[in-house]
Amino acid sequence: MTYSDLAIYAVLLAVMLDLYIIKSQMLTRGIYWLTWALILPFQLLTNSWLTTNEIVIYSPEQIIGRRLAGAPIEDLLFGFSMILLTLSLWERFKPRDTTSDKEESKAS
Amino acid sequence: MAEFNYLGVLLFISVCAVGVTLVFKVRAPRFWRTFLIVDSIVLAVYLFWDYWAIEKKIWSFDPTQTTGIKVLGIIPIEEVLFFIIVPLMSIITYLALINLIAKYKPLAKDRARR
Repeated sequence: MTYSDLAIYAVLLAVMLDLYIIKSQMLTRGIYWLTWALILPFQLLTNSWLTTNEIVIYSPEQIIGRRLAGAPIEDLLFGFSMILLTLSLWERFKPRDTTSDKEESKAS
Repeated sequence: MAEFNYLGVLLFISVCAVGVTLVFKVRAPRFWRTFLIVDSIVLAVYLFWDYWAIEKKIWSFDPTQTTGIKVLGIIPIEEVLFFIIVPLMSIITYLALINLIAKYKPLAKDRARR
């Protein structure tokens, strides 16, 4: 299994967990995509710093080879999966007994 | 100083996190307790993958640009911190956006009424 495979599995696992196991269903909420879109440029920035300075070195035969801002495109998938899993878990475990939370769930 | 290069990136993200928290007044009940639960799971999943990827030599780390402190024998401490700081930053960004939308939503409603 290469990084390309790993990255795809990471996304599939996070999507499956979010929709069917954790059931936060972040993928269906606009706020999730907005958060992801906002984090994305910062991810590209830090990733490109880490890879162009060769702090993290990727084995060439383990990646497709297409790069975005210096970092392998697999990183985008990996990052997406981590943000999704994190926010999905946050929605699952955040305290629910406060009134502001009730208002929020009504609104969504 | 080169051995702190990776740590420097993490510091940059942390500074952003503190900045966003202060500027957007991010607050959540039992924030750290919830974060501890969330990040334990995230850490378990991603450190497992990280360990596997390092062992398979999918990626490696420049020994001159990392502190050399390792967890579980092969994972640089910076990676562990990365899987703590990045989820933290993600949640703070998410909460800040919720605050921001809540702040401007009533205005939008007012405008619609007019």
